[in-house]
Amino acid sequence: MIIELSVALSFAAGLFGVGLYGALSQTNLVMIMMGVELMLAAALINLVAFWRYLHPDAMSGQMFVLIVMTVMAVEMAVGFGVAIARFRVRGSVEMEEARELKG
Amino acid sequence: MTVPLIFLTFFGAAALWFAIVVFRTHSMVRSALALLFSQTAVGAMFLVMQAEFLGVLQIMMMATEMSVMAIFMVMFMMDPGGLGEMEMTHQKKRSLWAGGIGFAAALALAWAGNWGPEATVIPQAARQTELLGIELLGRSMFIFESAGLTILTAMIAATMVAIAPEKAKQPKTVPQKTAPQHKGHSHDH
Repeated sequence: MIIELSVALSFAAGLFGVGLYGALSQTNLVMIMMGVELMLAAALINLVAFWRYLHPDAMSGQMFVLIVMTVMAVEMAVGFGVAIARFRVRGSVEMEEARELKG
Repeated sequence: MTVPLIFLTFFGAAALWFAIVVFRTHSMVRSALALLFSQTAVGAMFLVMQAEFLGVLQIMMMATEMSVMAIFMVMFMMDPGGLGEMEMTHQKKRSLWAGGIGFAAALALAWAGNWGPEATVIPQAARQTELLGIELLGRSMFIFESAGLTILTAMIAATMVAIAPEKAKQPKTVPQKTAPQHKGHSHDH
């Protein structure tokens, strides 16, 4: 057993759990995005840990990290775009009030 | 216990602690700062795991991203300082269960999985960056270019969504300028 790998994966599991709790429990759009960011950070730790302790010669692991970082940036950009549009129309980014698409 | 393991545990615990603080504090600014510290600790974990380029990239990117997030927090929130201690959560119990189950499942997998032998030879930092560059501009070029195109599309889409709609301005300006001129012309003729 590789102790360092298991320790890194454990902290990533913790970050994922906290992020999942935040994304599901928060009512504010920006706080929900924070939860998603934490889950993506957990994915990043996993990728780097697997690259470092199992396949340091395969750089596709690091490339995958760059792709996940891109996803984080895209999520923030689109999320804030939606938040601004929502704030302009309703004066709030509380997701409890966003029920228009519910039907 | 080896030195890298001690640092890995320290920064991992810091990342986890600040992640919990994000959702425990009532102040939105403190939440954004706690997320910044959490992401910085993740970057430090990368440095401990000898991924120097990715570690520095993570710290730089998240410092910028979280500063922007803190500004948006102050703009959007009714109570950014958290002095009113307003409740901003729903379905708390179910969320706790979901987060707990996700954590337990991932933790069990981390310790029960047979990951194979540990790699001992790690390329030097400069060599890693060189190899990553070759990877990005070689075998993974299509994926890399797709990521670039995706982020460009997201930037344009986010800007378009955020721009104020033109229709809101038209009703105020059009009647003031055109209506009196039209009346004057009809009297002359």
